[in-house]
Amino acid sequence: MTETKFKKNKSAIQRRLIPSYIFLTFWSLISVFPLYWMITAATNTTVEVARGKIWFGTNAANNFHTLISQNDLWGSMVNSFKYSIVQTLLCLFVCSLAGFGFELYHDKTKDKLFAFLLLAMMVPQVATMIPLFRMASGMKILNSVWGFILPSISTPFMIMMFRQNSRNFPVDIMEAARMDGLNEIEIFFRMYLPVMKSTYAAAAVITFMNAWNSYLWPKVVMLDNSAQTMPMLIANLAAGYTVDYGVLMMGVLFCSIPTMVIFFILQKQFAEGITGAVK
Amino acid sequence: MNTKKNGFGLLAKQRAAGWAFLTPATLLIFVMSFYPMVQAFIMSLKTGSSANMQWGSPITYNYARMFQDKLFQRSIGNTFLYLIIEVPIMLIFAVLLAQLLNEKHLKFKGFFRTCVFLPCATSLVSYALIFKSLFATQGLINTVLVSLGIFHENYNFLGTPASAKAVIIIALIWRWTGYNMVFYLAGLQNIEYSVYEAAKIDGATGWKTFWYVTVPLLKPVIVMTFIMSINGTLQLFDESVNLTKGGPANTTITMSHYIYNNSFDGVANFGYACAMSFVVFIMVAILAAINMKVGDTRD
Amino acid sequence: MKRKVVSVLLAGAMALSLTACGGSNGSAPASTGNDGAAATDSAATQAATADVASEDEHTLSVYAWDKNFNIPALKAAEADYQKNVDPEFKLNIIEQSQSSDVETAITTAASAGDFSTLPDIVLFQDHWIQNFVTNYPDAWKDLSAADIDWSDFGAEKLSYSTINDVHYGVPVDNGTVIFAYRTDLLEAAGYSIDDVTGVTWDKWIEIGSDVYEKTGKYLLSMDGDGNDLPYMMLQAEGKSQFDENGDPQLTSEDVKAVVDVITRAQKANALYLANDWSDYTDQTIVGDMVAGVMNGNWIIPTIEQVAENSGKWEITTCPTLTGAEGYASNGGSSLYVTANCKNTDLANDFLAKTFGAGSTETYDAALKNGGVITCSTKAGSSDVYNEGVEYFNNQAIYSTIVEFGTHVPVVKQSDFHYTAREQVAAAIQNILGGADIDSALKDAQDQLMFAMGK
Repeated sequence: MTETKFKKNKSAIQRRLIPSYIFLTFWSLISVFPLYWMITAATNTTVEVARGKIWFGTNAANNFHTLISQNDLWGSMVNSFKYSIVQTLLCLFVCSLAGFGFELYHDKTKDKLFAFLLLAMMVPQVATMIPLFRMASGMKILNSVWGFILPSISTPFMIMMFRQNSRNFPVDIMEAARMDGLNEIEIFFRMYLPVMKSTYAAAAVITFMNAWNSYLWPKVVMLDNSAQTMPMLIANLAAGYTVDYGVLMMGVLFCSIPTMVIFFILQKQFAEGITGAVK
Repeated sequence: MNTKKNGFGLLAKQRAAGWAFLTPATLLIFVMSFYPMVQAFIMSLKTGSSANMQWGSPITYNYARMFQDKLFQRSIGNTFLYLIIEVPIMLIFAVLLAQLLNEKHLKFKGFFRTCVFLPCATSLVSYALIFKSLFATQGLINTVLVSLGIFHENYNFLGTPASAKAVIIIALIWRWTGYNMVFYLAGLQNIEYSVYEAAKIDGATGWKTFWYVTVPLLKPVIVMTFIMSINGTLQLFDESVNLTKGGPANTTITMSHYIYNNSFDGVANFGYACAMSFVVFIMVAILAAINMKVGDTRD
Repeated sequence: MKRKVVSVLLAGAMALSLTACGGSNGSAPASTGNDGAAATDSAATQAATADVASEDEHTLSVYAWDKNFNIPALKAAEADYQKNVDPEFKLNIIEQSQSSDVETAITTAASAGDFSTLPDIVLFQDHWIQNFVTNYPDAWKDLSAADIDWSDFGAEKLSYSTINDVHYGVPVDNGTVIFAYRTDLLEAAGYSIDDVTGVTWDKWIEIGSDVYEKTGKYLLSMDGDGNDLPYMMLQAEGKSQFDENGDPQLTSEDVKAVVDVITRAQKANALYLANDWSDYTDQTIVGDMVAGVMNGNWIIPTIEQVAENSGKWEITTCPTLTGAEGYASNGGSSLYVTANCKNTDLANDFLAKTFGAGSTETYDAALKNGGVITCSTKAGSSDVYNEGVEYFNNQAIYSTIVEFGTHVPVVKQSDFHYTAREQVAAAIQNILGGADIDSALKDAQDQLMFAMGK
C-alpha cells in the first residue's frame, strides 16, 4: 500500500463516519449538559441557582468554604472510597470466580442452580432490608465496612455478567493449558483473567459506581456520623427547611468526580480498540 | 474432551474445581438474599405494626387486600407503561452507540465514551434537580418551546399526569443508555476481530455484519441487559421518588415506590409491603424466565 | 504487558481487600469519630460499633436533621448545659438528612426488635409521634420524672407529645403559622396589610386576584403534593380532617368549604400551586413569584434568602371562612427519649434545663443561630424575642409568633394525619383537572379508609 493510497483510504473512512460523529456529538451534548449545569451551579449562590442561572458565578469559594466548614467532606470521601473499593474488589473476585465456574464447567445442575440464584435479584430491596438489618445488628457489623458490603459482595447480576461474557471465552485454550500442566485455579488466574479484562473493567466500573452511589442500605446500617458516606452527606445537604443549592451542587460535584475518574481510567481497559482483545 | 489421556481422576478434580469456584458466591447469596426473602415471605402473611405482628386472618389477608387497592393497581399500570416504552428504546440506542464507538477508525473515542457514560455516573440528586428545573413551568424547555412558537403558554410538564410520565421515561433513557452501552461495548470487545475479517472476506456489508455476526455473538449480553432492564424498571424507585414524588395525585407512582411508602413512610404496614414485594418478585421472575427461554440458547 | 497489569491489579486487589477488611474488623475505625467524638468511644466499647447510645455518664447522643435549623438549636442547648450545669457534658449530634430518616430508624429498629441501635434522644416530628408511640410503645421513655413546668408551653403544641395524659416529648421548635405579605406589592395594588388581616377567604381571593392583575405576583403559593394549606385552613377554623372517634371525614362540609376556597383561589390567580416542595420554596418563594407566604414560621429563613426584598415583608394572621383572625400550626418537632437511653436521669435533667425552659439561654441562642422559635411563653418574652427584625420592617416578629402560638386551637389528631393530607391533595389535583368536588372528596375518603384498614 503506497502512502497516498493509504491517506485517501483514511479520509474516505472518515467521511463515511460523519453521520457517526454527528450523532455522537449530539448525544454527548445532551449527556454533558447536566454536568455543565452542576459545575456552574456550584459557583453560584442559592438564589441564582433557583432562578435558573446557567453561567458561571463568583460564589465557588464561598460554597466550598461552607461545604467543608459545616460538613465532614473529607471523612465522608474517605469512607466512601474505603467501602466502595473493598466492595468492588471482593465482588469482582467472588463473582468472576462464580461466573467462570458456572459457564466453563457448566452442566445441567449448575445451570439450574444459576437460574435459581437469579431469583435473588428480583425481590425489591425494600422487602429484605429489615431482615438484613436484623442480621447485621446481630452480627455486630453496623457502622463497619462489613455491614456496608456484605449484602452486595455476591450479586446474581455480577455473576450473570461474568457468566454471559464467558460465552465467548475460547474453551480450547483451557484444554491446551491443562495439557501444559496448569491446574484449574491457575487457569483462572493466568488464562481467564487476562482474556476477560474488558469484562473485569466494565464490572469494576459498575460495581464501584453502585457502591459509591448506594444510599438506602447504607442509610440503614451506617448509624454513626463518622461512618457517613458521600451520598448521605449530599442527602443531608439536600434536605431541611432551607436548602443552599450552591453548596449542594459543590457537594454533588465532589460526589460525582470519583465515579467519572474511575470510568475514565478503566474504559481504556475495556474499549481499547478491537485488536488485542484476545491474545 | 480428551478424558482418556487425562485420566478419570483429573476429570473429577475438574468437576470439583467447578463447584468450588461457585461456592462462595452461592453461599453468600443464600445467606444474604434467600434467607431474608424467606423471612420477608413469612412477614407477608402477618399484619399489624412491625414491632408486634400477628398472623393475618385469613392467612392470605395481605394478598387479598391488593385486589382492592386501586393505588397498587395503578402503580402496576404505571410501571409496565415505563417498561414497555422505555426498555426497547433505551437498549436500541445503547447497542447503536456501542457499535459506533467500537469502530476502529473513530477519533475521539475516549471522549465520546466518557460523555455517553456520564449520565449514570452523575449523582441522583443533581440529575433529579436538573430534570426538574429543565422541565419546570418556568424552565428552559418551556422557554425554548414557547419562543419557538410550538407552545402558546408555559406548560406544567411535571404537574400533568401524561407529561410527567413522559418526563420520567425521558429521564430514564437519558440516564441508563450509557450504562447499557458499557455492557455492549465490553461484549463487543470480547468478540475476536478475526470474525469480522472473515465476514468482510465473505463480502458482508456493515449492516449485514452487524445483524448476522455481531448480534448473535452479542446475544448473551443482550439477554443479560434485557433481564437487568426489566428487573430495574419493575423495581423502579429513584425516578418516581425524586422527579415527581409519584405525583401529581399519585398518577406516576411506581410499584417499588408504593411498597417503600408502605414499609417506611409513616404508618408502616410492613406485612402488606412484603406481600406486594412478592407479587413484584413473581412478575419479574416470569418475565426473566421468558427472556431466558427465548434468548439463552447455547449453540 | 497488559495481561500483567491486570493480574497485578487483581492480586493487589485481593491483598488490599483482605487487609482492608482485617483492619476494619480489628480496630473498628468506622466507629471512632474523626474529631472530639473519639473521646466518647472508649477503648472498652470499640467492638460494640452497633450501639450509638452513649455509655459515658456525661454524654448523650441525639438524632436531628437540619444543620441550619434544629442542629444549631441543639448545639445551643449543649453549650447552655455545659456552662450552667456540667462542664464535662457532651451532646453527640448525629445528623440525619430529613425528619423521615428518624422515623425510618425507629421503624427499622422496632421491626428488627432491637432498640439498641437507637441514640439516647431523637428529635421527632409532632404529627408522627402519636402514631409511633401507639405502634412502638416500647421504643420510648416517658418524661414524668423530668422537672418541667408544662403549663409554660402552648396547649396545642403539647397536645402532640402528650399521649394518654403522659408527657413523652419536650417541645423544641414552634410550628405556629404566619401569613407574611410583601407590603410594597400590596400597596402597589392599593391595599395595606390590615386589609388582609381578619378577612374572609372570599374577600382575600378578590384582593389576591387584584394583586395578581396589578403586580403579576401571586398572593400565595403552596406545594401541590404535600399540601399543608387545607390542613392549616381547617385548623384555623378549629376543625380537623378526623372526627372525635378518629374516623376520617373528608366529605364533611368543613373540608369541602376549604377545598372549594383553594380551587377557586387557584383559578382566580390568587394562589399558585407548585408541583412539589422544592418548587414551592425555590421557584415561588426564592424565585420571587409571590406577594405572600403562609406556612409554619420555619419558612422564614427561606423568605429571607432573597436579600433584595429586605424590609418589604410583614407578618400577620391568616384569613378564615368567617373573617375572624386565623391561628394554626404546621410542622414543628419535639425531643423524645428512647428506650435505649441508659442514663435517663441525665437525659431528663438536660431536657428540663434547656428546652424545658429551665434556662432561656438555649432558646435565645437557638433563635439567633438557627431561627428556631420557642413554644415556651417564658423564653419567648426575653429581650432577644422582642427585638425588631430588619427584614420584616423592624416588626418584632418572634414575640408576635409566640403570642400567635397561644391562640392555636387544639384539633383532633390522628395516626393517619399525613395520609389524610395526601388524599386531600390528590382530590384538589383531581378537581383542578376537571373532577367534580363531591366525587373527588368521596374518592379521597375511600382511599383513606382503605389505607386505615377500615
